Amino acid sequence: MKQFALWLSTTFPSVFIQEHNSWSIPAIQSIHIVGIAMVMGSVLMIDLRILGWAWVDQTLRQTVNRFGPWLNGSLWLLLVTGILMVIGEPVRELVTLSFWLKMTLVALGALVAMIFQRTLRRHEQRWEDTLVHRRSIKLLAIVTFLIWVCIIVLGRLIAYDHVWGSWSPSERQ
Amino acid sequence: MDIASILEWLQQSSLAVQIRDSLFAFPLIESTHVIGLTLVFGTIAIVDLRLLGLASTQRPFQLVASETLRWTWVAFAVTALTGALMFITNATVYFHNAYFRVKIVLLVLAALNVLVFELTAGRTVGRWDQAGSVPPLGRAVAVLSLVIWIAVIVSGRMIGFTTTRGSLAEPAPVETNFEDLLGLPPAK
Repeated sequence: MKQFALWLSTTFPSVFIQEHNSWSIPAIQSIHIVGIAMVMGSVLMIDLRILGWAWVDQTLRQTVNRFGPWLNGSLWLLLVTGILMVIGEPVRELVTLSFWLKMTLVALGALVAMIFQRTLRRHEQRWEDTLVHRRSIKLLAIVTFLIWVCIIVLGRLIAYDHVWGSWSPSERQ
Repeated sequence: MDIASILEWLQQSSLAVQIRDSLFAFPLIESTHVIGLTLVFGTIAIVDLRLLGLASTQRPFQLVASETLRWTWVAFAVTALTGALMFITNATVYFHNAYFRVKIVLLVLAALNVLVFELTAGRTVGRWDQAGSVPPLGRAVAVLSLVIWIAVIVSGRMIGFTTTRGSLAEPAPVETNFEDLLGLPPAK
């Protein structure tokens, strides 16, 4: 991975971002943070609806119609800006434990979002009548929110990967 | 007591020392700050987009605002608290940092923006909300709010880059002559 990261850092797009890093890196990171904010806002609202703490005058379907597209759109924005950050600083990102833990949770979070929206579309009546009232589903809503919280923590820890001590590949070399 | 000694006292406080000495404290406080600020921006954006007629248009503005902004306040409290904790660890440096000052000014502007809304469009909200429209001033406040909060995020990120030795620290240029820097006569 270190070899790949070093190679990536010599490619043209990487060199371009590095040469303009005084504005490019902060700009990309700021857009990334705005994207996370949209994800957090959307996930919070959908989860609050499942928990019955907000939007109870609307159906679950209506709430997901309202926030789902913003969630999905923001996830694409995060993917694009995330890839740009990896290209711009390959070693800083790829040679850390935090990054790979984060990617694992991102895959999980995106999968949950996708499966949830799909089953809601297919079994709408069942969701509105029984599933949304189930305690296990409400618990799942809380867990989903916590997954995104952990993703933010791990994202920030990329800059502090030394907290993992000898587990961090950047400390081992 | 002047500001310099207050800043000095803050960063010498036992809380500041404990945060500085801990391996995990600062990264976790900073992470919590990010969690808080994403929820602040995410929830404010919902209200602003409703004012602009870009989202939540099926529901009255007042309902959207009341169901959303209570969470904004919780998140803002978390963000302000963690921000204050980060500030005291290096108070003098943050206080003199240009981006920090810009950010504080922007936060004041964000508050004034809310005040303007409450004193103008907010007073007649019952009328226009029932009619399903938003007065131009309400829309202007929404645009300003989004712009200000994005600027808050950018300046916040810049504080990190300009106060700590981040990945952007540039190596000294090769042609730097250290004798020049030290004011010594040139070496033969």
